[in-house]
Amino acid sequence: MIRLDDKALRETAYESKVHMIGRCTLIIGLLLTFLPPFILWLAYGIIPPLNNLISGIISISAVMIPVSVVEILTFSPMLGSSAMYMSYLTGNISNMKIPSAAISMEAVDVKPSTEEGDIISTIAIAGSVIASEIIIILGIILIAPITAKLNNPIIQPAFEQVLPALFGSIGAYYILKEWKLAVAPLVAAVSLSLVPGLPTAITIPVCVLASVLGAKFLYKRDLIKADE
Amino acid sequence: MITFIVLQSLLFFRLAYNEGLKLGLTKAKMLRAFRTGAISTIVPTIAVIVALITMVPVLGVPIPWIRLSVIGSAPYELMAAGIGAKAMGVDSLGGAGYNSQVFSASVWIMCIGSVWSVSLVAFLLKRIKKRYTKNIGADPKWRAVLMNAAFLGVFCIFIADPITKGGLPLVTLLCGASIMTVLALIIVKLKQNWLKEFALALSMIGAMACTALFSYLF
Repeated sequence: MIRLDDKALRETAYESKVHMIGRCTLIIGLLLTFLPPFILWLAYGIIPPLNNLISGIISISAVMIPVSVVEILTFSPMLGSSAMYMSYLTGNISNMKIPSAAISMEAVDVKPSTEEGDIISTIAIAGSVIASEIIIILGIILIAPITAKLNNPIIQPAFEQVLPALFGSIGAYYILKEWKLAVAPLVAAVSLSLVPGLPTAITIPVCVLASVLGAKFLYKRDLIKADE
Repeated sequence: MITFIVLQSLLFFRLAYNEGLKLGLTKAKMLRAFRTGAISTIVPTIAVIVALITMVPVLGVPIPWIRLSVIGSAPYELMAAGIGAKAMGVDSLGGAGYNSQVFSASVWIMCIGSVWSVSLVAFLLKRIKKRYTKNIGADPKWRAVLMNAAFLGVFCIFIADPITKGGLPLVTLLCGASIMTVLALIIVKLKQNWLKEFALALSMIGAMACTALFSYLF
């Protein structure tokens, strides 16, 4: 009993530390992102008229508020808390952070949404963040020569296909693991993509929901072997 | 700014690392996760740089760089910049009428648009997490299935696109999938566990090489 209490106590200590650091860094980070427009304003005196700015703010908020709410509810069970704080400071969540966390948990054999999973996804995303910042800096330094090379007509089409390349690969891995699970989301996703112009803010949650419901159906009927 | 981001991830890394040691995860395992995360990011990051290059003629180097290093992703930034310009009565990025004032409107909107998601996470994540841990229940087997299903849900959205579009995206998708299948067979059958870290990066590069070759030939 005493050991159990110890464990519970330690976890909450860790969790509250994570939330503390996460909140502080996110808020500071958010304030820092406003440096460029403030520099434009204070140093160069360039600022849009207030009316236009407000109308712009209304349009972007109308899009972003529902998107953010749904996204956060979708992503937060997949990544641990600290992984969430990092992902939201650096962006590119569905195309970079989620796949790299998923593949890392596979590589070291831990389950998502467990304590170990949270820690591994945190470490994986830390690796991912650091690597991508370094590569972007290198990219900026080399931007002139790279632009010339990447505009090469042979390589250009390949870079336009980076998303299919990523998701073909990681999708295949997951489908090999448990193909039955893939049926429901794939059907949902294909039918959703036949409707033109739906933003991923709608399609991702709908598809995740379809996938989860499908999984529940299969699990209840013992049609999938959970690896544990 | 970027120093700050790296600082945050180092902080979390240390915290998670120490906690991991207490939970009995080995050092090797955790370093491996770090490496895998880093390696798997390389190719998508190059794609981000390509997106950056497409934004540079319109928005210059500094703004897209800062914006793509934090919070945003290329489609979001372009959309936000577009909304900013529209609010000023200008319909296109760059081009006639896109003066410095319109540009500053784009920048403001890019920043303000991302306030929502970031502050929601900053203020509400703790509560959301608590709710989830209560609801998810005690069945670890179901939880594993549930998480796999959730991941698959995200992946399928991006898989469906090339399937319905066909053409070059479909070729790339299939190449990536088949290379990954081969790699997975090698990992399982020949017990080449080290390959796991590189599998994603390798199959992406392979798939993109096939695409380049394919579009060159046809």
